[in-house]
Amino acid sequence: MKLLTCPLNGPRNISEFTYGGEYHPMPDHQQVAAREWAEHVFFHDNAAGVVIEWWCHSASSYWFLAERNTISDQILRTFPADEIFTQRIDFEPAPEPTINATPTAGESQ
Amino acid sequence: MSSTTPNQIATNALRRSQLYRRHMAMSAAFEALTDSTVVSCYGTGEGELKQAQHLGLADLSTLPRAGFKGLGTPDWAAGQGLQLPVQPNRANLQDDGTLVARLSQTELLLASNLDGLSESIANISLGSQLPERVYSLPRSDSHSWLVLCGSQAAATLSKVCGVDLRPHKFANGEVAQTSIAKINGVLVRNDLGETLSYSIFSDSSSIEFLWDSLLDAMAEFEGTAVGIQALRDC
Repeated sequence: MKLLTCPLNGPRNISEFTYGGEYHPMPDHQQVAAREWAEHVFFHDNAAGVVIEWWCHSASSYWFLAERNTISDQILRTFPADEIFTQRIDFEPAPEPTINATPTAGESQ
Repeated sequence: MSSTTPNQIATNALRRSQLYRRHMAMSAAFEALTDSTVVSCYGTGEGELKQAQHLGLADLSTLPRAGFKGLGTPDWAAGQGLQLPVQPNRANLQDDGTLVARLSQTELLLASNLDGLSESIANISLGSQLPERVYSLPRSDSHSWLVLCGSQAAATLSKVCGVDLRPHKFANGEVAQTSIAKINGVLVRNDLGETLSYSIFSDSSSIEFLWDSLLDAMAEFEGTAVGIQALRDC
């Protein structure tokens, strides 16, 4: 049986967990180009070596992070997400683009 | 004057367990609890206390429950008069018999006493306005509640659960959020007097499977279903 240690619940059978994808620092969603944002949301590096990944303990719906060596499939450590996310992230809407209401020459009123 | 039969009590109630048909097939006698019903005993109820002390399974799904989650939850709940366990995955009993399980630093599960009249849940649920960063979880609707009790309960659970739940390893008041017979659930050791007892809260949509699986696992140890009266008598 393969075990994974949940930071909240302790060591559990790997079948109690769901993989949640690679962890990447989030770029500033208001400044970043669409391409870079799409890469952050959809694309994986699929690196060979030590990576940080999201995992979820399904029985408690607890999301946490794990350092895993993708070559040896060794879990090096698991840790709660608040080690990285120290404050709440709010998605403030981008300011509305200003519309120039003055008609240009040749345009009807 | 017409009398109400036990079956009418079960069918007329506003709220009934998802296991209602299983109970009817096992000749259950129901009792009314506010707007719901619960199995009082099966058949005549003779010998159910002894059965519960040996190995019994009871369905308390219709008893009140509540849940709260969010960063503001611990301070708010303490302000409402609840005595919270300090550590996550621990549970304690309030003065009125309400079970309070702390599932993480910021998540609580409340379950009623065996009379179905939990002042703590009534008071905390009536406070309609939750403060910021406190979110209500509909535990009465989303989850069912089974109680597995008796001296053989740990042996039964060892057949269906990977966590070591033997009494000398898993103390009274400990909580395990884990897989039980392949169903995710919250398991709380909450002894009834001297009788070893585990409360299992799991997704209500798969409760018939879990009920059948546990009864099947219990058969080896001569366990069977018991009503709520046997739990009260423990």
